[in-house]
Amino acid sequence: MPLLSALDHEHTVAPAGYSRWLIPPAALSVHLCIGQAYATSVYKNSLIAHFDASQTAIGVIFSIAIVMLGLSAAVGGTWVEANGPRKAMFVSASFWASGFLVGAVGIATKQLWLVYLGYGFLGGIGLGIGYISPVSTLIKWFPDRPGLATGLAIMGFGGGAMVASPLSRQLLELYDSGYDSANASSVASGGALVGLFVTLGIGYFVIMMFGVVNVRVPPPGWRPAGFDPAAVAARPLVTNGHVTAANAIRTRSFWLLWVVLFCNVTAGIGILEQASPMIQDFFRDGTTSTVTVAAAGGFVGLLSLFNMAGRFAWSSTSDLIGRRPIYLLYLGVGMVLYALLASVGHLATALFVLLAGVILSFYGGGFATVPAYLRDLFGTLQVGAIHGRLLTAWSAAGIAGPLIVNGFLDAQGKPGTLTAEAYRPALFTMVGVLAIGFVANLLIRPVPDHLHEPPAGRPATSPPQTVAAEGSPAR
Amino acid sequence: MTEPQPPENQTARLWVSWLLVAALLGYGVTQTVITAVKLFTH
Repeated sequence: MPLLSALDHEHTVAPAGYSRWLIPPAALSVHLCIGQAYATSVYKNSLIAHFDASQTAIGVIFSIAIVMLGLSAAVGGTWVEANGPRKAMFVSASFWASGFLVGAVGIATKQLWLVYLGYGFLGGIGLGIGYISPVSTLIKWFPDRPGLATGLAIMGFGGGAMVASPLSRQLLELYDSGYDSANASSVASGGALVGLFVTLGIGYFVIMMFGVVNVRVPPPGWRPAGFDPAAVAARPLVTNGHVTAANAIRTRSFWLLWVVLFCNVTAGIGILEQASPMIQDFFRDGTTSTVTVAAAGGFVGLLSLFNMAGRFAWSSTSDLIGRRPIYLLYLGVGMVLYALLASVGHLATALFVLLAGVILSFYGGGFATVPAYLRDLFGTLQVGAIHGRLLTAWSAAGIAGPLIVNGFLDAQGKPGTLTAEAYRPALFTMVGVLAIGFVANLLIRPVPDHLHEPPAGRPATSPPQTVAAEGSPAR
Repeated sequence: MTEPQPPENQTARLWVSWLLVAALLGYGVTQTVITAVKLFTH
């Protein structure tokens, strides 16, 4: 079929003169949509009321989606590399949209398992494939500025929640006139939830199609004007060689980078997951906090802004100062900021917000810079597949971060009675976690030459234009 | 799905693509800032 064959890798090679600046918005149109995954709390209470279910039962929907994100990114990475970004984006859009539509059927028929299957399972596959689909292509189009390119795309994942949160609230109010999003106890009707899921599913599919239509891989031999691969390769830890995903996971550097990402994400998630109660507890006077529940909600929104801005700003900065130094900044300065947060964070609200904001910008920066770090270490041959495997660190950190924080807090007292002091053990533990990541980053070394693919006789799964796009297959 | 267009037709495509993502991001940032300001000044 002509429509489906247009998705094939060989039909997505850009004609001469195709602007590479069409690729970042193509990537953003996917990431801005799948970033909705971080905005599920907006309708969580409405789902609990509709299904008459527990917090845990509804929380499982999100958990399934995140587990599927990690699994599909890890397992599907090689498929994405072999089939190209257009087919991958189309598959992602189809899974993501059908996840919402199957979820809507589940809500309409009050079958919670259908929501697990839809948003959780199908949507989670869309998340994983969508997250990695543009990364490899961006790195090939921007060999001179890979950090900027991947920072732009992955910024979209942070920004997606900022779009979806207010949009979901406004749609629920539109579909249910009795729903008041400003009232914490107000819940939307089942009909409004169905309308929301159908609207988001169709809307996201249309927006993601912009990415499908515009994305291209660079033609053989293409390189940006004035770009000299030898100049980039002369920097520490940067290679012009290429390593397959199978070989990459056999290297010590891959697992050290896994530890770096795991530590950076664990520390950040510890704050993100606890942000709203944390700011109230830090400024508690007796049984009441000087920070209202509403203000705590505004704080969470501000953290999203820092998270998103950090993805672009820090990842772009890594093109100038190098990948290892930027992670030394995330982890080293992060340790200082966590220690300050624990010791003096309770002195002023503005200081607390500033410290937490910069920490969250490092959290976002860590996500956005890692594809460029992988490209430096392993080349562009299967960087998308390697990135997918590395994202298992995200899944593991998603379990470890909240476990550490909640474990310490449970030992300190009950929610609503905690103060800044109760957070100190957890925050100082995060300093230790960041220290482990700091050391791991220092231990990363270039991949040994014998693990590089020879210039000729690339594996059959590798896209042939990858070599030429990068400009130099030589080690 | 059409075949790649020649470069001279790219300007409109560039504008539409960037406007779409700018509109989405702008909406999200504006809504977040409005909410944060409202809540912190209450």
